[in-house]
Amino acid sequence: MTTFLKRQQQLGTDRHVRRYDDIRQLLPDVDQPTPIVRLNRVAPELDLYLKLEWLNPFGSIKDRTASYLLAGLARRSSLQHKQLVEASSGNTAIALAALAALEGLPITITIPDGVPEEKRIVLRMLGAEVWETPDDLCPVDNPRDGAIALARSIAQSAGGEDYIWPDQYSSPDNVKAHYETTGPEIWRQTEGQIRTFVAGFGTCGTITGVGRFLKEQDRSIRVVAVEPQKGHRPPGLKSFAEAKEPDILDRSVIDEVVTVDDDLAYGMTKRLYREEGLIVGPSTGAIVAAATQPDTSDVPAPGLTVGISPDSGFKYASFFIDHLGDEGLPRI
Amino acid sequence: MSDAITFDERLDTSGLLCPLPVYKAGLVLGRLEAGKVLHLITTDPGSLEDIPALARQRGDELLDVEDRGATQLFWLKKGPTERDGHK
Repeated sequence: MTTFLKRQQQLGTDRHVRRYDDIRQLLPDVDQPTPIVRLNRVAPELDLYLKLEWLNPFGSIKDRTASYLLAGLARRSSLQHKQLVEASSGNTAIALAALAALEGLPITITIPDGVPEEKRIVLRMLGAEVWETPDDLCPVDNPRDGAIALARSIAQSAGGEDYIWPDQYSSPDNVKAHYETTGPEIWRQTEGQIRTFVAGFGTCGTITGVGRFLKEQDRSIRVVAVEPQKGHRPPGLKSFAEAKEPDILDRSVIDEVVTVDDDLAYGMTKRLYREEGLIVGPSTGAIVAAATQPDTSDVPAPGLTVGISPDSGFKYASFFIDHLGDEGLPRI
Repeated sequence: MSDAITFDERLDTSGLLCPLPVYKAGLVLGRLEAGKVLHLITTDPGSLEDIPALARQRGDELLDVEDRGATQLFWLKKGPTERDGHK
C-alpha cells in the first residue's frame, strides 16, 4: 500500500499537457496565449475575434498587469514587511490580492462605487482589506476618482512608509505588460493580418501597450478605443468626461474613440451570451458594440479585427438583473 | 464655545492627508447614533473645506470649527437620517 501510494518522482511543469507546479505559471505569453475566438453570429459580415482574457488564472486581463506591477516593484525595492495598497474597480485588485497571498504580502484595496458585491466578497476571500470608496469622496475636489485619491493618501500619509502603491494608472509596467505579452500574442495569433484592434478606456494599459506594439509592426493598423458614456455603470471602463486621464495613456497610438451607452453595452452583452455562448462581462459588450457599429465615416473597412474581452460575466449577476426584466422567469 | 461642546467620539487624523480624514470621519459618523457628536482633529488645511462639505453631503450638523494653523478641530453632530453618498 505504501509503495502504491509513494511517487517515484515528482512530475514537473509541462505546458503541453497543461500541468503546472504553480498557478502563476498559467500567466500568458506568446507561447501560451489567451485564446481568440471568432464571432460568427452577432456580426457575420465582419471578421471579428474576441481575445478571451477571462481565461487567465485569476479571471481577467488584469492578471498580466498585476504580475508586471509586482515584478517591477520587486526589482526597484524590497517588498518585505510592506503592505500593498491599490485603487481598483476589482479585476486588478483580485489579481494583486491573489499574487500577494502567494507572496505572503498584506494588501489594502480602495474600491470605487458601483463595483458589484461579488468582486468585493472575492477580495475579502483572498485576504484583502477592502475600503469601499464613494466616487465623490473629496466633496470639494472632483473628478470622480475617490478610490485613487484614497490609495494615494494611504501611501503618502503618516505611516505611509509601510505601504507600497503599485499605482496601475501611472506605472509604465502596466503598459509594458501588454506591450510584451498581449500585443505579441495578437500579432502571432492573427499571423500578422490584423487590421483593427479594439479595447476599452480604463487604466489604458491595454490600449496603449497593444496599440504601441501593433503600430510598430504596421502603422496602418487601426487602434480604436471604447469610452463609456458619462455616468456609466460597467466597472473597469472610464469616461474621461468625468475621470482624470491616466498618466500612461498614449493618445498618439489611438486612431478613433467610440462612445458607447449603457443600453448598447448591455444589449450586446446579452447577444454575446445568447448568440455566441460567451459568458462575458459588460465591458466586453461595450467593446463589441463599438466594433460592430455601422460605418458612417470615411474610415476604411475594419478588416480582421480583434477586440479584448477583459473578464467573464460571473461577477456581474447583480448588474445584469436590471437589464433582464422578466426575461427567463416562468411564464404562467 | 469649543471647550463647552461635549462629544461622544473623538477621531484624531493628525498626519493623514486628504481624503483620509474625510473618509475616516464618514466611517465614524456612519456608526454613530443620530444626535451623537464627533470631535475630529486634522492637520490637513484642506479639511476646512472638505469637512463642512462632508457634513452638508451627509446631512450632519457642523457645530463648530477651530483653525489653529497646524491643526484643525471640528465638532460634528450626526444628523437624523443617512443621506446617499459616503456610507
